[in-house]
Amino acid sequence: MGNPMKIRAANKDGVTEIKALISHEMETGQRKDAAGAVVPAWFITELTAKLGDKIVLAAEFGPSVSKNPYLAFKFKGGAKGDKVVVSWKDNKGDSRTDEAVIN
Amino acid sequence: MSRFSKSILVLALVGASTATFAFDSFKGVGRPATSAEVKAWDIDVRPDFKGLPKGSGNVERGNELFEEKCASCHGSFGESNEVFTPLAGGTTADDIKTGRVKGLSSGELPQRTTFTKVSTISTVFDYIQRAMPWTAPKSLKPDEVYAILAYLLNLQEIVPGDFTLSDKNIGDVQKLLPNRNGMTTDHGMWPGASAKKGGIGNGGKPDTDNKACMKNCKPEVLIGSTLPEYARTAHGELAEQYRSFGPVRGTRTLGPEAAKKAAEATTMELATKSGCMACHGMKSKIVGPGYNEVMTRYAGQPDAEGKLVAKVKAGGAGAWGSIPMPPNGHLADEDIKTLVKWILSGAK
Repeated sequence: MGNPMKIRAANKDGVTEIKALISHEMETGQRKDAAGAVVPAWFITELTAKLGDKIVLAAEFGPSVSKNPYLAFKFKGGAKGDKVVVSWKDNKGDSRTDEAVIN
Repeated sequence: MSRFSKSILVLALVGASTATFAFDSFKGVGRPATSAEVKAWDIDVRPDFKGLPKGSGNVERGNELFEEKCASCHGSFGESNEVFTPLAGGTTADDIKTGRVKGLSSGELPQRTTFTKVSTISTVFDYIQRAMPWTAPKSLKPDEVYAILAYLLNLQEIVPGDFTLSDKNIGDVQKLLPNRNGMTTDHGMWPGASAKKGGIGNGGKPDTDNKACMKNCKPEVLIGSTLPEYARTAHGELAEQYRSFGPVRGTRTLGPEAAKKAAEATTMELATKSGCMACHGMKSKIVGPGYNEVMTRYAGQPDAEGKLVAKVKAGGAGAWGSIPMPPNGHLADEDIKTLVKWILSGAK
């Protein structure tokens, strides 16, 4: 269970824009610590965004994505008051789901 | 209000009471600033919250305002790194407890943000009120500044999402600022007495400590490194490029000829130091053969170098007579190689 995401969802002229700031270490597994030991890889592998039951975005993340990634995307549809649910899974089996109301 | 504005105010008062007194010496030039003018100019907010306007604003309103006026440059979450360094991020719950952002000293932070650095919340308030938004500075009303600041504090996870910031509770927020203990005035750059004596400086004492050595000083300067052979000629004649006075002189490099000479001179030194010169002459036999004789005998033999290196190392007798050459195991292989090369190339 990671830290909460920050999500903003706004609908304008029938297009909903989602912005999310995800809190995650996103270790590539390529770095070494001060003692020279490899820092184990720890990154988000999958991310989905749903409007109701419908998936509006499915993404595969990898080690090249930055720490605390920022994600913004738009889709047609959605209305004020609808709920958008964003969730991710990482390579350690951890996952997190957060939601936001479109305004 | 700064000291300067105070003196203006005093001038203004004096001007009001004794009509022409203050401006007698500059007849016809200027007039005292009116109190409205002083008020419009005097907008700064101090760390002790002097100058802070009354008002309040909540996180939700701040979110709306931020999206409308700030997000285009700073990003919706204050995360954007394109126009300005990020506003928010980089601090932990622990930092809020200690009042010192750990990431600044541990090197963990990939990027400094406003809230990792700032140690007084009044500074952020003052800055937003004075300079933001960039396209229309001073256009925000106090309530709007409070709201935006509340939103930023929420982004930083200092205050909860339902928080309302006002002139009443901004002092409590100051006590939660992640880097509130991160400011030092002990660097001599600020005026006045030390903080202990009620000032903001340290009495003008610099934070460097260049003490003159009075005892137990280093008696002489030891040369720790020299120009490596391969680099001697890399920059032309160094002697001509340095000043001819002062403590530092350029060494004479004078093209490849000088480099070779210098290299040989050091090999000669090496030969002397290694004890070779006790038995071998440059051009004559002393106990063992002269270097010129050695060179002549081995000239044209491609394996001469390897053979001689082994001989120098192990010592032996027979090749030049019955007097044996002592083994030279104490010499570094690298040095022996250098010496043999030098001899075979016609030691000078």
